[in-house]
Amino acid sequence: MDNWVIALIKVVFIWTWTLLIATLMTWVERRGSAMMQDRLGPNRAGPFGLFQPLADGIKLFTKEDIIPEKAHKILFSLGPILFALPAFSAYAVIPFGDKLIVNGKEIILQVADVNVGFLYVVALGAMAVYGIVLGGWGSNNKYSILGGLRSTAQLISYEVPFGLSLLAVVLVYGTFSLREISLVQQGTFLGFLPNWGIFKQPLGFILFIVTAYAEANRVPFDLPEAESEIVAGYHTEYGSMRLGLYLFGEYVNMYTLAALMVTLYFGAWHLPYIDMSKFLGPVSYGIASFLVFFLKTAFFLWLFVWVRWTVPRFRYDQVMGLGWKALIPLALVNLFITALCIQLTV
Amino acid sequence: MSGFETIVMYLGMSLLVVLAMIGISAALGPFRPKPRKATTYECGVPLLDPAEKRYDVKYYLVAVLFLVFDLETVLIYPIAVRYKALAHIGWGVFFEVFIFVAVLLAGLLYAIKKRAIEWE
Repeated sequence: MDNWVIALIKVVFIWTWTLLIATLMTWVERRGSAMMQDRLGPNRAGPFGLFQPLADGIKLFTKEDIIPEKAHKILFSLGPILFALPAFSAYAVIPFGDKLIVNGKEIILQVADVNVGFLYVVALGAMAVYGIVLGGWGSNNKYSILGGLRSTAQLISYEVPFGLSLLAVVLVYGTFSLREISLVQQGTFLGFLPNWGIFKQPLGFILFIVTAYAEANRVPFDLPEAESEIVAGYHTEYGSMRLGLYLFGEYVNMYTLAALMVTLYFGAWHLPYIDMSKFLGPVSYGIASFLVFFLKTAFFLWLFVWVRWTVPRFRYDQVMGLGWKALIPLALVNLFITALCIQLTV
Repeated sequence: MSGFETIVMYLGMSLLVVLAMIGISAALGPFRPKPRKATTYECGVPLLDPAEKRYDVKYYLVAVLFLVFDLETVLIYPIAVRYKALAHIGWGVFFEVFIFVAVLLAGLLYAIKKRAIEWE
């Protein structure tokens, strides 16, 4: 009974937290872009425009829900649901801290520590393609179909190097459990570096971050929404909260990917050279590990915004060329080197 | 309890909220249907031609290539997770996997040479 209550609290807390951060991200994105372009950005709703996401949400909720007469009604309504559902659920297996000890009871700061956690994240990430292709096709509009096809081709092309770069991480750690991967990143590597994944997988991390940007449809890979070419891509015909789910799902995906980067490559909740659990109490250690993990994730979230206003959008042939001709061979080379290193050191 | 019940709870919560979001938006939004509103978007002019027409076959080609390479990844995952134990036995697994990868890599090079992933 006790376990069920703790599990329920963790589910509700992390689910709400994920969506809260994604909501805040829409504000950070707009304020950040304003800062970089030397303008003010949204500053009317609340202090510093902090309530802007709330105002946007209310606006989306009170818009008329239009389904075009030519659309395939079922596919059209299914699209945003199938896009948002995996996006909202992918965080379930990613840790958000080490552990908290309350009244002698140890609470692991992770919603579900399953031994196939890795596969769960990859599988849910791939599910987003269904939402996009069904939404694009269901709209029965040529911009939507073209956008949906382009987007699908891009997502599945980058799915391969994404999977291959993660494969190298599995080779290094020999487990699918994201908590176990986090736990072994404590201490030092080669005597002077923090024992983080990035130092064992430098090429793997570069491949991962490039493919993660493509999977999240972010600049420089935001071709599905190349508004100067195909209006708004697969969500041209969508309005009200159906559009909201597409846009919001993307921000939740960004948060999941940033947390995955921290878990796999940046030592999860560990600080370099310092072992927090040695000098902090059980409760304060839990809170500190949560904060360290979150601050690292926040940096990668900011990186998404930073890159957006730094790098111009690729052309479509460049995107496909990069995926198939550069990233897949590089990912295979990375896999080869990793396997060779393990083979030589056992 | 294993983690899977919790995952089901998490998925259930997502489904509930997603459906609620669409439901609330349908309930709160106005409902004033007009024939013009429900027409297909075509940049402000009357619809020129239907959307169901032929699209480039390249998208299909990419999907087929993806299937091959994604299966490759999925097949290597179970080996990868036990690789350290397998590496103790000898070089057999290493060569087995990379002969498999090399065959597929030859396929990729062939596809590139045949210009399967050129977009002009």
